[in-house]
Order: sequence, then structure tokens, then C-alpha cells
Amino acid sequence: MNVIDARQLVKRYGANAALDGFDLQVPPGRIVGLIGPNGSGKTTALKAVLGLTTLDSGELVINGLTPWTHRAQLMAEVAYIPDTGILPRWMRVSDLVDYVAGVHTRFDRARAEAMLARTDINASRPVRVLSKGMQVQLHLALILAINARLLVLDEPTLGLDVLFREQFYDTLLNDYFEGERSILITTHEVREIEHVLTDVVFMARGKSRLAASIDEIREQYTKLTLTTGNTPLEGFIGRRQTLAGVECIYRNVPRDVLARAGAVSVPDLVELFVAIMEAPHA
Amino acid sequence: MHEWHDNEPIYLQLRTTVLHRILAGTLAEGEAVPSVRQVATSERINPLTVSRAYQLLVDEGLLEKRRGLGLFVTTGAGNKARTSEREAFLNVEWPRIRQRMDALGIDPHSLLKSEDA
Repeated sequence: MNVIDARQLVKRYGANAALDGFDLQVPPGRIVGLIGPNGSGKTTALKAVLGLTTLDSGELVINGLTPWTHRAQLMAEVAYIPDTGILPRWMRVSDLVDYVAGVHTRFDRARAEAMLARTDINASRPVRVLSKGMQVQLHLALILAINARLLVLDEPTLGLDVLFREQFYDTLLNDYFEGERSILITTHEVREIEHVLTDVVFMARGKSRLAASIDEIREQYTKLTLTTGNTPLEGFIGRRQTLAGVECIYRNVPRDVLARAGAVSVPDLVELFVAIMEAPHA
Repeated sequence: MHEWHDNEPIYLQLRTTVLHRILAGTLAEGEAVPSVRQVATSERINPLTVSRAYQLLVDEGLLEKRRGLGLFVTTGAGNKARTSEREAFLNVEWPRIRQRMDALGIDPHSLLKSEDA
């Protein structure tokens, strides 16, 4: 059973459709990157799959539950970090831990405290005096200590310096081993997570433009770097001029055919993203 | 962190890294390899990718599982690694090098002679 099964979600704000027939399937135990330009509907999609927003139409099942009718049960099984700091600034760190322990049935206090002990966060200080990086660390410790089957992270490393980013991924990957948990993550920093992901979803204008596992991408997409004098084979989905020569990206074209025109390799996620986003609408 | 290239899936590149370390002796026979968790976090890659590389090395007889202790370099792994690398060189790399030499008009015999001189 999929952890998330979203079909043809539509969410309109006036004349604009933030979600315009959005599909998303997330199987258990996967780390899925939701990647798209600003305004493509990522945050709305995340809120929708958590049941935090109403929809104009579409079918949505999370862990076998419908979010609007099984809200309390569902909230016990998912954990979410939004892209803006929402921890109450006036609360002391230790009080916040008490609070979450009090309201969340699946919160493992010892685990949260162990994670916090690895940071420089002083538990007796209020949230407002913590740096942005520390606030993210605190939030992450609270959320990861919840034994949830689905973890949803919206731009978790935005505004963090290199060291905090390192620690963030360390904590996330370490925690990932604790269970068959799925992670859905949005970010603009594609390069820093591309090897962590098992699957990617490219999103544009409220729709999914590509949903595939990393293995499927390796099988289906090829980058051809043309050797001098050769003209590109027809059928590429993206083309650009680089120092190495003209690079074209193809889908489902046999590599041995392409290899006659130049050097073939697998495009990285950024190259693929650019090609698919710039390609004419299907 | 490791620099990955795009020509090969990462799990194969990881396998090659371990193989080269066994060949070089920096991973000795009987020595433990880092856990999946350690590799995944230090290289920032998916744990499944690391497991896949390790499984391949187990299948090739270069690593073995010791229950509850983790993965270890097998006895005789050095020889096995050498054999498989020699094969890879002779069957894959050498034909490529040969092709390139032909394209550049370099004669292998004269090259060897000039090295001896």
C-alpha cells in the first residue's frame, strides 16, 4: 500500500489553479524529492497531501486513510516541517519538549533529547534567542522523535549555513534507519540531495511533469555530448551549448544509437530538470 | 564527500572504491568495512545505494556478513579483487586504450621500446 496516493488533485485560488490535476504516489520506505520552480504548487501539494487544505476535486488517501474524515488518526502517523519557522518563539526549549510529549502519542522524548544533546541548543533558553539554524535543528529533533510513517519536509535547509546543512542530512539519514519511514522533501538545492533520493517528482504549474525512480531515470534518459561536426539526432527533449560542446537530452532512445554521434552519459537531476521544464508542453 | 561521475550508477562506483581499497591493501582481509549508516551519512547518499554496493561485493565473495557484527573483507579477497580487476582491464579498458592509440597512430611496440630505452 502506498503511503501517499493522490490522484488528480485540483486546488484553485480564484482563477489560478495551484494544483491542476496533480498526481503523487509514494510507496513505503522511499525518499521522494518534489522539485519545481517557485510558484509551481509545491507547498500547496505538500499541504494537500497532509490534508491541511481543502481541495476542489481529486482523490487522496494517506496510509489508507482519508485525511478529512480520519484527521486525528492521520496526524499521529505523519510529521511535517513547513518552510517557515512556526515554533512558538516565547516558549523555552524544555517546555516545548514537554508540550510535544504531552500532545503527541508517538513522541519519543528520550530520542528528542538525545538529538538535542548533539547540538549546541541550551534547553533552558527560549526559542526566540536561537539562531535560525538552531531553530531548524530543534524542529527537526522534535519531528524526527515522532514515530511517524511519513515525514514531509518543505525546504528544510533554506537559509542554513553549510555546517547546519551537513548536520541536517546527517540527522535525517541516521534517523531514516530507525524505521520503514517515507520522506517527501521539497528543495531548490537539488544537487545537495540528489543522491539521497530514491524517487523524484518534477512539478510545474500545478502538475507533475515527471515522476520516476532514480533507476528509471538512469534507464530512460540519456545525455549526448556531441563530438565536433556531428549534428544532433532528432527527438531530443532538451539542448544546450556548454564548454564541452552541444549537449542534448533524450528519452527512451537506445544508447548505442546515440553513441555514434558523441559521448553518452546519464544526465544529473539538474540537467534533466532544466530540459523537462524548458521542453514544450506535452 | 566522494565525487561521483555520471557514467555509472553510484552503487557500482562505491563497489569499485571498495575493490580498489582491497587491492591497495588499505582495507585488509578480515577488516570490517564501515556500516551502511556511516557510509550513507558521510557520503550523503541513499542507504539503499550503499546496501546494494555491499550486496554486490558479498556476491563477488569480497565481503562477508558476520552476524551482529557487520561486514568484513573475506580471506582471499585481495586475490579475487586482483583477478576481477585484471579481467576488467583486459576485456574493457585495454581494448579502449588500444582503440585510442590506433586513432592517434601510436604503435604499442614502439611505445614499449621507448620506455625500455
